Amino acid sequence: MTEMLRLEGLVKRFDDLEVLKGIDLTVQKGETIVLLGASGSGKSTLLRCVNFMEVPSGGRVHLMGEPVGRDGRGAAISYSERDLVPIRARVGMVFQHFNLFPHMTVLQNVMEGPRTVLGLPRSECEARARKYLDKVGLGWKADAWPSHLSGGQQQRVAIARALAMEPEIMLFDEATSALDPELVGEVLDTIKELADEGMTLLIVTHELGFAYTVADRVLFLSAGRILEEGRPEEVLLAPREEQTQSFLRGHGRFRLPETPAQEQA
Amino acid sequence: MGYDWDFAVVLRDFDLLLLGLLNTLKVTGLALLFGVPLGLVLALCRLYGNALIRWPVGLVIEFLRTTPPIAQLFWFFFALPILAGVEINPFEAAVLTFSLQSSAFFAEVFRGGIQSIERGQWEAAKAIGMTRNRALRRVILPQAVKRMIPAFLERAIELMKTTTLVGTISYADLLFRANQIAQSTYRALEVFTIAAAIYFVVIFACSLGVRLLETRMARSGESTAR
Ligand SMILES: Nc1ncnc2c1ncn2[C@@H]1O[C@H](COP(=O)(O)OP(=O)(O)OP(=O)(O)O)[C@@H](O)[C@H]1O
Ligand SMILES: [Mg+2]
Repeated sequence: MTEMLRLEGLVKRFDDLEVLKGIDLTVQKGETIVLLGASGSGKSTLLRCVNFMEVPSGGRVHLMGEPVGRDGRGAAISYSERDLVPIRARVGMVFQHFNLFPHMTVLQNVMEGPRTVLGLPRSECEARARKYLDKVGLGWKADAWPSHLSGGQQQRVAIARALAMEPEIMLFDEATSALDPELVGEVLDTIKELADEGMTLLIVTHELGFAYTVADRVLFLSAGRILEEGRPEEVLLAPREEQTQSFLRGHGRFRLPETPAQEQA
Repeated sequence: MGYDWDFAVVLRDFDLLLLGLLNTLKVTGLALLFGVPLGLVLALCRLYGNALIRWPVGLVIEFLRTTPPIAQLFWFFFALPILAGVEINPFEAAVLTFSLQSSAFFAEVFRGGIQSIERGQWEAAKAIGMTRNRALRRVILPQAVKRMIPAFLERAIELMKTTTLVGTISYADLLFRANQIAQSTYRALEVFTIAAAIYFVVIFACSLGVRLLETRMARSGESTAR
């Protein structure tokens, strides 16, 4: 097994507010991790520290075994924007609100990263973009404008845009939360496909049924700490912690797939 | 109403008016040519510069925006040559003044436009590995500029009207010529009517052109509103 990501005592503070209070996590290649937790528990912050949209306040992030950042004086690690930019290119991220570039066509959106960030030749970028658009089932929409797509289609384009960078890890932050219920499925199917193909995924979602089917491991975050972690059937069906139990009760409207274990839940 | 309109006298000097218009367009055009890029630079300094840059730039912008244009024009025409020991003719003074003055206004237009772009656009650009500069160039500015077109047009019209002040330092723009003709023909009413009509036609045509461009851009793709 190859280690893709390792977090060691990850701490993130915003001024006085300590949002992440020491997260330890190792993710192997091809693993799918689902992060659950109440609003404000730090799920988004955790993802954003992995691709360095936020710079950690303490602890260490290792990508493919390599520590990110330079050792400064004492315990402090210094992060320079110069070093972080290429890291972000290696970690894909999909947002709740898609954030497609509205002044570019679908194809241009997907080509943009390979073209301007990776500096690949135009023809190669286009081939790559078409490949990933086909993958999310939207090759036929290559020349459309984002505003002419449904929310689900926009999110799939956003996934293709991230994939076109051929990242080592993909992060999904509530990728279906902004979608109408009937559009959720197509996006979840796309993510599931990535998981099945062996992509390494870190997913924040409130879709518990999806979490159950896709996750290799589920983490329950509470107030900046990993309160509980384990296989999906452990955490989702037989949670040990009182907080996890009440969180899952609050999500009763999400039905878990039928399994024998469900009787105990 | 006994006024006896006589445009014929005035139209004899129409070529003088056109020469004046040419000078008006020259000053306006050059002020735009220098003022718009300078405005962008000032806006970026004010938005992203460190405190040592941001603060003075903000002060300069506010100063240019709040002092009367005619005072600026006089200052550049009369005071600057003394202070800097250089000769400066009315045309140069006019271009200098209106470039700087409009750059301050354009800086604020750019700043507003850039700030109007959702944070998510920055995040998406950053997430695929763009640096801030690249995100600005490729993602933020193209969208911002599109939103700024109406404000740009407004400023450009304002600018053209403000350039009428150049007459006070004897630069022969359209209004200056009109004034001359009025004095020689005693037909002020006719001359200024025609001058006003010329301003109207030019500015209105430009506005139409810009609107057309806007709708063309809107049709060629996405709506900027989201
Ligand atoms: N840039 C920031 N500046 C200050 N505080 C922040 C910032 N980003 C997040 N926070 C705070 O950090 C805490 C955790 O936020 P985060 O977005 O990680 O939670 P979350 O688990 O993703 O919640 P949700 O389910 O609502 O998305 C919150 O209290 C939030 O207000
Ligand atoms: Mg969140």
